[in-house]
Amino acid sequence: MTARYFEDVNVDDELEPEEKLPTEDMAIDFFGRGNPTNPAFADAEAAKRMGIGGALVPGMLKISWVTKYVSDWAGTDGAVRSVRIAFRRPDVAGRPLILAGRVVDKREEDSRKLIDIEVAILAEGEPSVRGNVQVELPSRG
Amino acid sequence: MPEEEQSLITDEMRALIGVRGEPRTVVVREEDARRVRDVLGDSDPRYRDETGVAPPYVLSMLGGGQRMSGMPRVLPGGLMTQQEWRFFRPFVIGEALTAYQSVVDIRERLGGRYGHSVLVTMGIDYHNGGGDLVASFFETLTQFDPNAARKGE
Repeated sequence: MTARYFEDVNVDDELEPEEKLPTEDMAIDFFGRGNPTNPAFADAEAAKRMGIGGALVPGMLKISWVTKYVSDWAGTDGAVRSVRIAFRRPDVAGRPLILAGRVVDKREEDSRKLIDIEVAILAEGEPSVRGNVQVELPSRG
Repeated sequence: MPEEEQSLITDEMRALIGVRGEPRTVVVREEDARRVRDVLGDSDPRYRDETGVAPPYVLSMLGGGQRMSGMPRVLPGGLMTQQEWRFFRPFVIGEALTAYQSVVDIRERLGGRYGHSVLVTMGIDYHNGGGDLVASFFETLTQFDPNAARKGE
């Protein structure tokens, strides 16, 4: 990981897409094996009874992925300030997801250098999650 | 106004908006921080064990099943449709945070995929021992009547 500076970022810059392959084990491990969670996260049959095509990928896992994705982009001296996500449709374990992002605004506010990024999680090319992330970056000056 | 378009939100429910609940203590646990970091494959040096700092997404572990307790329940079906996290200070491993939960908003939507639905947004503010706001968490549950939603399909 390296540092990214405010001056080096432009509106319309795209973040390198990143692929994730969610699994049922990942959902169980994320919450901890001793912690009760929604049975649809770990049991494809339970999820099918709820009308979902397979084990459900937890929303908490998806927003965590988005947070890490943008945090990695922001670099060692950047910081994620907020993440806002809309879950548009369920995702199912075993199907690859693509994280994507694009810079939509950059500005200075109270001497802070802020970047707004539009993010999406794509499943089979269609967004299952859309959102906005704000990061604060260091300045070269 | 036809009966089905009458508001499902009562004055009692509206009165809950903005009322802060009883404080609850949650701890930024090392095992939670390490587990979520490992599941996500995060090698960010800022969150290594020896730093004493947890990655921001450890917020997903601060609350568990109690998180949505106190949410007004209007309709039987429910889907988490939005979430928002705001970060003001780093999460320190072992730190006890005081969590205050409140109802942020209740609104209705007519038509669409779920028919007559009610969107309830809950918020939680997490403060450290010095009273500083460390993070805020918001979650919107879209409540709907599964039978009415099916009829509208």
